[in-house]
Amino acid sequence: MFAVLWAVIGMSVGVYVAAELLWPTLDFGQPWLSFGRLRPLHTNGVIFGFGVSALMGTAFYSVQRTCHVPLFAPKLAWFVAIGWQLCVLTGGLSLLAGWTSSKEYAELEWPFDIAIALLWVGFGIVFFGTIAKRRIKPIYISNWFYGGLIIVIAMLHIINSLAIPVTLSKSYSLFAGAPDAIVQWWYGHNAVGFLLTGGFLGMMYYFLPKQANRPIWSYRLSIVAFWAFTYSYIWAGPHHLHYNAVPDWVQSLAVGMSLVLLAPSWASMINGIMTVSGASEKLKTDPALKFIVLSLAFYGLATFEGPMMAIKSVNAISHFTDWTIGHVHSGALGWNALITFGTFYFLVPRLVGASLYSVRLANIHFWLALAGTMLYVLAMWGAGVSQGLLWLSLDEIGELSFSFKDIMASMPPYYALRFVAGLIFLSGAVLMTFNFYMTIRGQRTIEVEPPPVASHRLST
Amino acid sequence: MKTVISSWLLFRLLFRPTEVFEELSETRPEPHSVFFKYVLWLAIIPPIFAYIGASNFGWRIGAAEPLFVPAGDLVVISMAYFFALLFVYVSTAIVAQWMAATYGARHSLGIHFALVTIIAAPLVVGSTMHLFPSIFLNVLVFIPTVMWSMYLLYKGLPIVLRISPERGMLMASALIGYLLVAAVSFLGLTVALLGRGIGPSIGV
Repeated sequence: MFAVLWAVIGMSVGVYVAAELLWPTLDFGQPWLSFGRLRPLHTNGVIFGFGVSALMGTAFYSVQRTCHVPLFAPKLAWFVAIGWQLCVLTGGLSLLAGWTSSKEYAELEWPFDIAIALLWVGFGIVFFGTIAKRRIKPIYISNWFYGGLIIVIAMLHIINSLAIPVTLSKSYSLFAGAPDAIVQWWYGHNAVGFLLTGGFLGMMYYFLPKQANRPIWSYRLSIVAFWAFTYSYIWAGPHHLHYNAVPDWVQSLAVGMSLVLLAPSWASMINGIMTVSGASEKLKTDPALKFIVLSLAFYGLATFEGPMMAIKSVNAISHFTDWTIGHVHSGALGWNALITFGTFYFLVPRLVGASLYSVRLANIHFWLALAGTMLYVLAMWGAGVSQGLLWLSLDEIGELSFSFKDIMASMPPYYALRFVAGLIFLSGAVLMTFNFYMTIRGQRTIEVEPPPVASHRLST
Repeated sequence: MKTVISSWLLFRLLFRPTEVFEELSETRPEPHSVFFKYVLWLAIIPPIFAYIGASNFGWRIGAAEPLFVPAGDLVVISMAYFFALLFVYVSTAIVAQWMAATYGARHSLGIHFALVTIIAAPLVVGSTMHLFPSIFLNVLVFIPTVMWSMYLLYKGLPIVLRISPERGMLMASALIGYLLVAAVSFLGLTVALLGRGIGPSIGV
């Protein structure tokens, strides 16, 4: 439930910073309301508040169902769940106070880094403990993705956050210069990869077949996709550092691996689309399935756009423009948020043993989410390509034609569109929150036993 | 079953889309007739508009003066635009035909050509805005036209291909996935060409 709260908070902050880009005086001269502090609050709020809470919740739920046993160390699971919320809350406040390590998506200072590491290890103990005591031999594919998420994020977080503390609120990274940049983007890109892509694929591989009420189209393909994905993603980070002071071969390798990555990414998309293709009857009654179907289309877009933007000749123009922001949001809104909404519409009524308060509201939410995402992406494509062309335009004597200030002065119309897009998307999320509130009001969480195992599949 | 679709269809589409879809579901057009009668001409309109607009008004990207591109480059860019549109057009129809098997839809290539023609029609109308190539105004015009096209796709696909609305929704979403990818490839290809020195003078 906290994930829903963080979704609304994180997205509200997003809309607010979008408005600040349009009307810069909205910070009212307050440092804690400035763009520089609210922007990390927005990214951390949606990634760690909304994204990770949703992943933890769905991982704990689905690992019990697929292993046919209750959670290992349930008290630790509660500790991780509550601890994580406190960590996001206090971490968010520390960002407002101006504590920052200035590493993108890893802005939180060292006390929080340590807390995150401990909680994450706790998450891993509960998850892998449950898998260890499972009652059937195979480990279902969603657990591979969730497991990959836990292991890789632990590795990335701990190594990237290595720092020497100076005071309670300030530390300095153990790495310096180009190695710092490489480690940072090894972290940054794989956080996108294993959290926002891999983790959410775990969600898809459990909840999509569940909702469609049919098995995965090709189980074999899902396993091949998992290993190919895990192997190739980890190399792709330096494509954030094209034309920079990192070795050329590192950049080229990252381009190569980014292109290879398209294959396993799309394999999972095709698997999802084919699984759902035979379940059209469910669409009549189930609003949740729609979200997942559409999220796959945006997943296809984002995972194609990413490798394309990693190509150097495209990157030369697209880098440092709003196209990048558009790309991130086609993934974050179109894929992550939509699949999570779909999963929640499936899960929340089941957890309290009631039916959804209003299917109609859920349908309205669907169209708001689609319209908001499309508008956002189109506005940022327009803004991004304009910026890319203008940054690089030369006049007759080979000097830059436009100053940074001139270019930014031409952006408000796009930023206004983006602001409207954000408002539309946010209003959908608020509708969903209301819908869930009405659904769970006066209900109690029902307690269920993990599903029984067919006798021939028992591992012992 | 009729094999020819009348030119009126495109005009009636503006006012009575459902009627048009129902009529299409009763026809079995030949792919080459749809291609030469409609696709070719519809695909040539946006590049011509773009050429006229860019040579008269210059690209208005935002900052200060409009950007004028040498006439020779403009011809190359407009031709590239034309061929890219044709490619997206034909490939979308082929992809749709390929998907049809999965969703139990009609299989004839001609009907998929006709469907894509219908869906693309609003975009061709919207391309009138190319006559004044301000990027922002074009984005502004294309947002409602894209929504209109998507509406036609979701609404028309199940009727024309004779499948249930739910299956139609699934197939239309899969097609949206393909079209989003096609759109972004367009963008990528464009900036790659600009980087190669075709178009305005930029320092890459």
